[in-house]
Amino acid sequence: MQGHGMQGQRMHGGSGANGEPGKKSQVNRTIKVEMHDNFYKPEKFSIKDGETIRFVVANKGRLVHEFNVATRKQHMGHQKEMMMMVEHGVLEPDKINHDKMMMKMPNGETMEHNDPNSVLLEPGKTGEVIWKFSKKVDLEIGCNVPGHYDAGMVSKVTFK
Amino acid sequence: MISTIKAMSWRMVVAAAAILMVPFAALAGTYNITVDPVVIDTGDFKKDGIGYNGASPGPVLRFKEGEEVTINVKNNLDVSTSIHWHGLILPFQMDGVPTISFDGIKPGETFTYKFPIIQSGTYWYHSHSGFQEPDGAFGAIIIDSKDREPFRYDREYVVQLTDKHPHSGARIMRNLKMSADYYNRVQRTAKDFFADVSKMGLGDTLSDRGDWGQMRMMPTDIEDLQGFTPLINGKGPKQNWTGLFKKGERIRLRFINSSAMTYFDIRIPGMKMLVVNADGNNVQPVKVDEFRIAVAETYDVIVRPDEDKAYTIFAASMGRTAYARGTLAPRIGMSAAIPKLTKSPRLTMADMGMAHEGMDHGSMAGMDHSKMKGMDQSKMKGMDQSKMKGMDHSGHNMPKKPAFYAPGSGLIPKAKNGGKFLSYGDLRAQRPLYKHRKPTREIELRLTGNMERYIWSVNGIKYGDAEPIRLKYGERVRFKFVNETMMTHPMHLHGMWSILDVGAKKWNPVKHVVSVSPGTTVHMETEVDAPGQWAFHCHLSFHAAAGMFRKVIVEGGPKAAMLAR
Amino acid sequence: MTKTFLGALTVITLIWVFAAPDAKAQETNLTFYGVQMEELEYRRGDEGENLFNYDGEAFFGTDEFKLRWLGKAEIDTDAGIVDEMENRFVGQIPISDFFDLKAGMRWDRPKGNNHYFGVIGLTGLAQQWFEVDADIFVSEAKKVSLRIDAEYEMLLTNRLVLTPSAEIEFGAGDDEKHEIGAGLSTMEVGLRLSYDLVDRAISPYVGVVYEGKFFNRKDMAKEEGEDVDALFFAVGTKIMF
Repeated sequence: MQGHGMQGQRMHGGSGANGEPGKKSQVNRTIKVEMHDNFYKPEKFSIKDGETIRFVVANKGRLVHEFNVATRKQHMGHQKEMMMMVEHGVLEPDKINHDKMMMKMPNGETMEHNDPNSVLLEPGKTGEVIWKFSKKVDLEIGCNVPGHYDAGMVSKVTFK
Repeated sequence: MISTIKAMSWRMVVAAAAILMVPFAALAGTYNITVDPVVIDTGDFKKDGIGYNGASPGPVLRFKEGEEVTINVKNNLDVSTSIHWHGLILPFQMDGVPTISFDGIKPGETFTYKFPIIQSGTYWYHSHSGFQEPDGAFGAIIIDSKDREPFRYDREYVVQLTDKHPHSGARIMRNLKMSADYYNRVQRTAKDFFADVSKMGLGDTLSDRGDWGQMRMMPTDIEDLQGFTPLINGKGPKQNWTGLFKKGERIRLRFINSSAMTYFDIRIPGMKMLVVNADGNNVQPVKVDEFRIAVAETYDVIVRPDEDKAYTIFAASMGRTAYARGTLAPRIGMSAAIPKLTKSPRLTMADMGMAHEGMDHGSMAGMDHSKMKGMDQSKMKGMDQSKMKGMDHSGHNMPKKPAFYAPGSGLIPKAKNGGKFLSYGDLRAQRPLYKHRKPTREIELRLTGNMERYIWSVNGIKYGDAEPIRLKYGERVRFKFVNETMMTHPMHLHGMWSILDVGAKKWNPVKHVVSVSPGTTVHMETEVDAPGQWAFHCHLSFHAAAGMFRKVIVEGGPKAAMLAR
Repeated sequence: MTKTFLGALTVITLIWVFAAPDAKAQETNLTFYGVQMEELEYRRGDEGENLFNYDGEAFFGTDEFKLRWLGKAEIDTDAGIVDEMENRFVGQIPISDFFDLKAGMRWDRPKGNNHYFGVIGLTGLAQQWFEVDADIFVSEAKKVSLRIDAEYEMLLTNRLVLTPSAEIEFGAGDDEKHEIGAGLSTMEVGLRLSYDLVDRAISPYVGVVYEGKFFNRKDMAKEEGEDVDALFFAVGTKIMF
């Protein structure tokens, strides 16, 4: 199980207006999610304000997919980063090159991802995201592998 | 009691049988097409032509993956006809090419095509007899996938392009044979000469004219055929084909280039396009501002208009002599601004790279040979080298990417809005159809021709004088196209997929048309898994007719398919 | 005479039979035809002459072999006499990327007489876009002459074309019957400005034409009381279909 996230200030989806990383002990319920090419199953997510959800994410597709809880703006920014990962050979359609991820970028950081609000999974792998939702901001669950978000692999989180 | 159980069981058996039959009933459609003389009205002129079911374009055929289709084609013309299902994998006798698949459909006759649909996506169909296709005999095919598509959309439209000319196909061929530049109205004139003199000076201008004059070739030779009115779904720019939408919807646009000779550069000002499918096969989605569609190619894009206004679908011909125009709008009658055509591009000496027939290299003083060496450095423009000090590029397993335009080519497309222009190099199969393996052999096909005589050929030999290409069932052939001409050729192999080498190994896109630009070498691989005999040709109608055509014979394969031919 | 005519026709037919591709290829190799009039004009001379001239061709065949008729004539419209009329019937085959070899016969019918020649020559596109036609003629009396034709199309615009042309005739020796003088015999130089009115099918033009006779030919003309040179204003149309 690989979490992924960018360290330092550039990190998106850290604690803040869109909720915060959840504590395992406070999980209200578990939602099983399957990632296919290129969509989620289930497609709709309905959450109560303040709930801590444990998402168990399994990649049942043939390509690498991401399960990322963030605002639309954060997704847009992350798409640029993912595009760079593809250009540098870190991300292949069905493979994550972990060794390349560790290479330092010009700003001193690596492309290693270990954000608590998302998982980037190869086909067949499973990961977990535990997140405490707050109603304050519009959230989307989306995949920022280049092209996937635009193809429709994104779901609005509706608050009950 | 027992009789009741018996009766129930019997009913259950009947019910089960009925339920099992339903999918078969749904998956066996019969379609009827008539081939008719029609009148085509482009908005600029009217012309007698050929259509299907009384119109050009013909009806959109909609099939389901898994369906067994029966298509009855009745010929109401007074000449022989045929229909080829472009891009479809089917038994060779159903492929519709006279003298290769069958004898054609005689006047008054009905021919019944019958084959299973084993694929999904956007395709098209057209006559393979004479010049009937340029005269209007074509239509679209949509095949619905049995699986869920890897992209979402709320509605869809077929956007089928063609280059309708006031002259019939036969007349165009005759005129081109009489004078190869018959239709070229963007040749260099005295005005261009003086403009060049003021720009480059007299010496360089004379030298430039002298270089091209020595080869007897023209840098303006991009479109053999000009003077046509481009149509979208049968409608000219004035007639304005319109597709309606609701704000926020995702629309799937199925672009098909059914032209005889014309490539189009397509953009929708104000809207980006997500390319999701090429030549019927899904590709990993890539967002672009503009793309070039070769003759006979298809591209499916998803667009998402986010405003309640009209958008113009603008398709400029590659030579910038004409444009096709349609509209996407929330209501009928709306239209958006039509962009102006930009200046016609010019070929450069880089495009002449291999078109050196009869050229005396010694006197090519004006040519800058340094421009023609591999330009690896310039390709790295996107990465600012100075910032990359920390990264050890030598360790990267980055395969050498093939170039689809000669370095310095005059045809390299740029997006009008400065954004992203789709390249073959951006295409990756969403789901590879074949296991990636080493090819069993390589076949080189030099694309050759003599513009002045309007002779087009493969390896210097016209179709009528050539031996068929023989392939063995089960091999994986790597075709090497070497373009020794200064024209762009869309090469189409019938019956089997063309896996285009973009340097992505198993993710190489699976296509049926491979466009080869002047002065370039392009590779594609084919898994030879379709027995019988197949056509393999340049899809520019008048090049195919002039000799750029081959018959491919696949030897071996399952006995059942080897029915007498 | 008729013998030469039939002989030439037989030769052409034989070339056709043996050079023609086999039947299977025939069905896939294109056959095509065309008709062109390079000159179809009325000429007004500097001494008041009124002439009607044409110079054109028709062809039929394949990439490998064409049958071609090249014809030209000059008619004195005042006198109603055909001053000159020439027809070349040739078979033509490609010998290089830009040049064809042609051979056949020529039949002249000036003023009601019949003259026959054998023809062999080249036609094609030379470097820098000069269209060139060169023929060697052998008369019935075995007298040899050479004619070279060259033309250059200068595009002022994509429809307005300025075409300088020159036709020069040389005689191996004097040939009074056919009005050819030894050495440089005659020269016709033209400059025509045409406009593509209907595609390239109809292109009307105006121009000037200079005809000159030299050396022995000039003497021949003087003896006959003919002009040794003439300047014409021409108006006509090019045709291509």
